[in-house]
Amino acid sequence: MWKPGTLPLPALRERIAASAAGARAAFARTGDGPACLRRRSAEVDQLLRTIWAGVLGEREAPVALFALGGFGRAELFPFSDVDVLFLCGSEAAERDAHELIRSATQAIWDAGLRASPATRTVRDCERLDGRGNLEFAISLLDRRFLTGDAALGTRFEAEVLPAALLRELPVLESQLAAAAMSRHAKFGDTIFHLEPNVKEGPGGLRDHNLVQWMQTLRLLAAGRAWPSQRPALLLRNGADTLPALAARATLTGSPGYLDAAFVFLAAARCFLPFRSGRDDNTLDWAAQDEAAAQSIGLETLGSAGPAYWMRTFYRHARTVYRRASILVDAAPADRGKPLLRALRRKRTGIAGTPFVVEGNRITLDHSALTDADALLRGFVYVAQYGSRFDEEAESRITESLPALAVQLPEGPFLWNCLRDILLGPHAAHALRTMHALGLLELLLPEFHGIDSLVVRDAYHRYTVDEHTFLTIENIHALRTPRHEWERRFSTLLPEIERRDLLLLTLLLHDTGKARRTGDHARESIELAERVFTRLEFDLEERDTVRRLIRNHLEMSHALRRDIFDPGTVRAFSEHAPSQQQLKMLTLLTFADIKAVHPDALTPWKAENIWQLYIATANYLDRSVDESRFHVDADPVVLARILASVAVHGGFRDAKDVQHEQLRAFLEGMPQRYLQTRLPDQIGEHFRLSLALALEPTQLSFRPYRQYNEVTLLTRDRPMLFADMAGALSAWGMNIVKADAFSNAAGIIVDSFQFTDPFRTLELNPGEHERFLASLRRALEGKVGIEQMLRARQHPRLGRPAHPGLRMEGVPQPHFDGESSSHSTLIQIVAPDSPGLLRALATAIAGCGCSIEVALIDTEGELAIDVFYITFEGRKLRPREQGCLAEAIVAALGQERNGVSLKPAQLGVVDGANPV
Amino acid sequence: MFKIEAILQPSRLDAVKDALLEAGIEGMTILEARGHGRQKGHTEFYRGREYTVDLLPKVKLETVVPDELVEKAISAISNAARTGKIGDGKIFLTRIDEAIRIRNDERGPTAL
Repeated sequence: MWKPGTLPLPALRERIAASAAGARAAFARTGDGPACLRRRSAEVDQLLRTIWAGVLGEREAPVALFALGGFGRAELFPFSDVDVLFLCGSEAAERDAHELIRSATQAIWDAGLRASPATRTVRDCERLDGRGNLEFAISLLDRRFLTGDAALGTRFEAEVLPAALLRELPVLESQLAAAAMSRHAKFGDTIFHLEPNVKEGPGGLRDHNLVQWMQTLRLLAAGRAWPSQRPALLLRNGADTLPALAARATLTGSPGYLDAAFVFLAAARCFLPFRSGRDDNTLDWAAQDEAAAQSIGLETLGSAGPAYWMRTFYRHARTVYRRASILVDAAPADRGKPLLRALRRKRTGIAGTPFVVEGNRITLDHSALTDADALLRGFVYVAQYGSRFDEEAESRITESLPALAVQLPEGPFLWNCLRDILLGPHAAHALRTMHALGLLELLLPEFHGIDSLVVRDAYHRYTVDEHTFLTIENIHALRTPRHEWERRFSTLLPEIERRDLLLLTLLLHDTGKARRTGDHARESIELAERVFTRLEFDLEERDTVRRLIRNHLEMSHALRRDIFDPGTVRAFSEHAPSQQQLKMLTLLTFADIKAVHPDALTPWKAENIWQLYIATANYLDRSVDESRFHVDADPVVLARILASVAVHGGFRDAKDVQHEQLRAFLEGMPQRYLQTRLPDQIGEHFRLSLALALEPTQLSFRPYRQYNEVTLLTRDRPMLFADMAGALSAWGMNIVKADAFSNAAGIIVDSFQFTDPFRTLELNPGEHERFLASLRRALEGKVGIEQMLRARQHPRLGRPAHPGLRMEGVPQPHFDGESSSHSTLIQIVAPDSPGLLRALATAIAGCGCSIEVALIDTEGELAIDVFYITFEGRKLRPREQGCLAEAIVAALGQERNGVSLKPAQLGVVDGANPV
Repeated sequence: MFKIEAILQPSRLDAVKDALLEAGIEGMTILEARGHGRQKGHTEFYRGREYTVDLLPKVKLETVVPDELVEKAISAISNAARTGKIGDGKIFLTRIDEAIRIRNDERGPTAL
């Protein structure tokens, strides 16, 4: 056994203290984190060599000293542990050197450093156990010979360690990936924390290390020897400065960006312990303020705002996290059945693209990626299946962007691709990937302003871009609700007719936050207008998205008031004047609040949103008749309508619009009509009303993306609504929505939205005219509806459309005599079937009742119909209500049994009143 | 010292917080709650089904105040929370024996 020599400990302590003070002063002066690390590592290198020489004296020992971990990488942070390996040539040497090693370790401590020593023999290292001691095995990847037995060190470096690592390689990779996933999970798998940990958090320095380790292991596996140059070593030699790196780094995620991220993160992690006087890695708010004020890690000196500084932090963290996630994802799974592994390895191409899918990974074949269509199809696949591109594919995608930028896709082609991406169950993942690779901003430059934008308040956990992606994720998560309170909202999702527009709204709703004007909704609309133009949206699509963005905070605002107060409900309903808009706004609010913070949407708040939704839905159905437009009472609205009808209604200018006729047309119309119709629709209806003098039945037809709409203008008469419903049914059309409004002059505007299950109108454009002529003849009584129905009799038409839907007994009508001062409301909720609306309208007319307003809706397999009924111009009395209830129940019972009712069966005899 | 527990309409919370701050009371705990007193809830009709909303959304505010501020706090809460309608809420008072600040073991009203 050797005896240790003597060491000048006080002098060593002074040297270390002076070195620490010097490093701190230099950092305060330059803000150069990597330089600080190199300087400290070099000082400690020197100290350890001195200590080892001191304890060894004149003797020689078969012991080699290696720096490990961060110290091995020459990245020794202030207050960090000093990891040292004492490698002994044999067990005997270990025994003999025991006292020397103990003395050296003691000396390191006495010198004022926190030593973290490990003593191993060469044989120990040959039996490296990646599963049992991952931390030690990985720390060896960063080993750096310091002093001692150089021959032993060389043999260890060149032979022992590569062989041991190669043997354990798959285990090391999988264990490293598993440890990273576990660490990420502790931080909620997101970089976006209000007070992030710069070392352990996702996108922090540990992830930067992970990238280096993974790449080292890959290169080792490929070359069966150490790579000639260690990956991402650009900064180690001190030759690169931040501006040089920034100039070289042109692609997101490239090594240059990774090193730029390291420069920033290293500076932040030097700043924190210097600030607090201890090993501190948490960027709390006060630290963020101070770091920003000192421009820590930024290229420019001086003072920056905390929001800007944190935005820079998140951008760097995102680069690191993205690269780390790709490598973790690509690591071999430690477990899994052979068959499953084989299936995962199966390679299949994505049709029409150079992308190849292997397991959950998407690679690129050798053909060039020059086609925007192919690229976007790749992302549609990602949105559909949640796959990830491998590193090479991502690099080639970013490389292809400049060429794609020359001929950017626009119009319906771009919208169809974006639409498919938005509608995919993994849309948020696909959009995040597009964003990280720069593709999203290329397609939607409006998104640039919210890239890593920080909202610094106590509520927002995430940056604005991440919040946006989370809102979309929250909508798709409703497909598989996890809580009972989520289940209710999930029932609304299939009822949204334009889910694509809801998701696009979510993508754009906060883009205006970048402008910091205090009214981000207005700014977001302005940015969205540019998107509408590029995507060539029609007026209705524009109006839907615009309205949703404008009102996206209104439901949250209403929640701060008494949601059971009719005044609150009435005021809120102004922002969502139709059931579709209300459902969209409800889901938007749900997703938006939930994406603010993991705990932002409590079951309590979710329940309140739901209560407000129900109250407003009921209010919308029950208030139509109460609130009518009177031109003299509201000249401002009249002037607005006049102007918009002139612009959108096909008139040359406002003078061309016949003012008095427009007043007459609008007088007494329900406000709902004005709120739910676009200016061009009102204009068209007005034009039709002008033509009534020539032709008493005016019809117009409009095809939409998912349905067709036919609008009828005429003078009201008994059975009109029933006849129209019957005529559409006779053509095999499935009515999904309808409404009927009338003005003070008794002109009715009935709109029916219907699907065309047999694609009669789509495949036969010439049928449009015949279809409208047939409807007109039926409405004018020139052909009997029953005759039409018989002529079109189809075996399926007599049966309920949804035999799978079960309801207990025959559905009962719900009468409400309170909500309207003029009419009695009837709500009927029943399984939808092709002839249902005709049967109900016939039953109502059969009892001598008039339909003042009708709101017809289908929600999945349910028909939800609301009629405002009068009898001889007044509300129904109890006896009339009873008779009508019987007639409706009879109609529903017959429909349920698949028997179509004839008017005579419901008591209609030449318009006589059977009640 | 007294603990004040107030059951409030959620829509009045901001006004009550402002009133308490004005009265010199800064510390408070807010809990989301559901319940009913004589208000009892109401019946809604949705998709052909009737259901009763019997537990209405409320917030519960808790604060502990020194004896000399009790009446001021009650008055602040009452005035700010009152709408005059059923369901405005309740205030409950409980005597508190001791308060301890965990950071420095300070005790009594100064720990509040």
